[in-house]
Amino acid sequence: MTAKPQPQPTPLTEPYWAAASQGKLSLQRCTACAVWHHFPVPRCTSCGSDALTFEPVSGHGTVETFTIVHRSFAPGFTGAPYAMAWIALPEQAGLRVFANVTDCLPETVTIGMKVTVWFEQRGDFALPNFRPA
Amino acid sequence: MTPSRFHHAVITGAGCTEFSRESGRSVLELAIEAADLALADAGMERGAIDGMLTYQLGDSVVCATMARSLGLDRLRWHNDIHGGGSQCASILGEAALLIEAGLAETILIYRAMNGRSGKRMGQIGQGAGDGMEEQFLRPYGFLGPAHLCALSSQLYMHQRGLSADDLAELVIAQRAKAAKNPRALLRTPLTRDDYFAAPMIAEPLRRLDCCLETDAACALIVTSTRNAKSAAQGRPIHIRAAVRGGGPGIAAMDKAGADPSAIFSRHVAPLIYEAAGLAPSHIDLLQLYDAYSPLILQQLEDFGFCEPGELHEIVRDGRLAQNGRLPLNLNGGLLSEGYVHGLNNVIEAVTQLQGRAGERQTPGASMALCTGFGGSMGSAAILSVEP
Repeated sequence: MTAKPQPQPTPLTEPYWAAASQGKLSLQRCTACAVWHHFPVPRCTSCGSDALTFEPVSGHGTVETFTIVHRSFAPGFTGAPYAMAWIALPEQAGLRVFANVTDCLPETVTIGMKVTVWFEQRGDFALPNFRPA
Repeated sequence: MTPSRFHHAVITGAGCTEFSRESGRSVLELAIEAADLALADAGMERGAIDGMLTYQLGDSVVCATMARSLGLDRLRWHNDIHGGGSQCASILGEAALLIEAGLAETILIYRAMNGRSGKRMGQIGQGAGDGMEEQFLRPYGFLGPAHLCALSSQLYMHQRGLSADDLAELVIAQRAKAAKNPRALLRTPLTRDDYFAAPMIAEPLRRLDCCLETDAACALIVTSTRNAKSAAQGRPIHIRAAVRGGGPGIAAMDKAGADPSAIFSRHVAPLIYEAAGLAPSHIDLLQLYDAYSPLILQQLEDFGFCEPGELHEIVRDGRLAQNGRLPLNLNGGLLSEGYVHGLNNVIEAVTQLQGRAGERQTPGASMALCTGFGGSMGSAAILSVEP
């Protein structure tokens, strides 16, 4: 079976993955207007500033929507069904991260489920994933 | 009723190749065949074409190649638009604008693809960003438009209290329509058991909720009313209005704002009614982009054909049938006829308005809504028999 893909960071996103390797979920934040951004942006979409940094978030979240993939062409994912979800974060309305929901049967995942981040080691990277809180 | 936005532009011809899973021909050959069929339908020769528009995702032939292959040397305008399903309605508006401006007289619109045997549509990237987003998606097993739609539809159906039963009704009904369509790839009637036996791809989407990758080409001729030939096989069809737009939602769900289930129709519906000076009650034929079955539900609600609480009824009460008040996707749609990035759904609207749909004909169709989906971006056009 093909290995699951590793992320390919760009200069813009490198701090996110570096923090993940340290076991921290860190998201981009504008130092001018304090708005969080994920996925990272080259300039703040709220105020236009380029003074952006990365700050840790709590790692708690809620399943906003999800799908259970049964038949996948995705490399490394062609086996058992798996759950992918957008996780809404409490730090800001509309702030969300994408991940697998693990450590539970996929069919038990629901919209509104409370989840907590954990880090899956994959090659040289640590991937933020979520499990039931 | 407001008159057409485009007084001088009419659709006078349409053509499609055979729909197949393996054409055995180049995309160029498919495109030429569809173009020649559309010209014959319009009662025109190749040399009449002085404008050309196509859309593609790096999987087709560009206008310059087509022009050379058709022996055209007097194009006054052509454009290769990067895009997929979102283009199928707005491209009519672009053709009409060129004619209104006097910049071209007779425009060939085409979409040609070996979407199954060549570059497979179901496996293209999300395509909504600059590629940076892939690192946040692919490591988690996210691949292609079906996953994007599944995530959106799951939330939408949860919000509206819809179930697989509702999708089954839609899918079965569209297959029944396709049974009357000789061109349709899938014509075998379906039962509820068939629907529920179909393998789950990504919840809530079973295989039967997803359109079928197709090898085919479709083409349309848009020309000036002055130039519309009496030799045309069918009556000229007017383009009353077309819009293109979008907003936050599923195309880039990371930036989806408050409701990541929102698709293009949430943003485009008010635009098309305003542009056309019409209301939902004026529409009597729906050719809605249905690459995935739940997209139909969202569009029925967003375009004002039913209240959110009525979705459960509208898929069951006959309104969407051939003889209903709101006939829907009478070709079988992208789900059953085939998937030529929506242009085939537009062609069905033209055929129905011309009264040439044979066994599939809905009585008295005079005003059709056609849509193009590209996540939270998209387009809509209203076509009519009367100017």
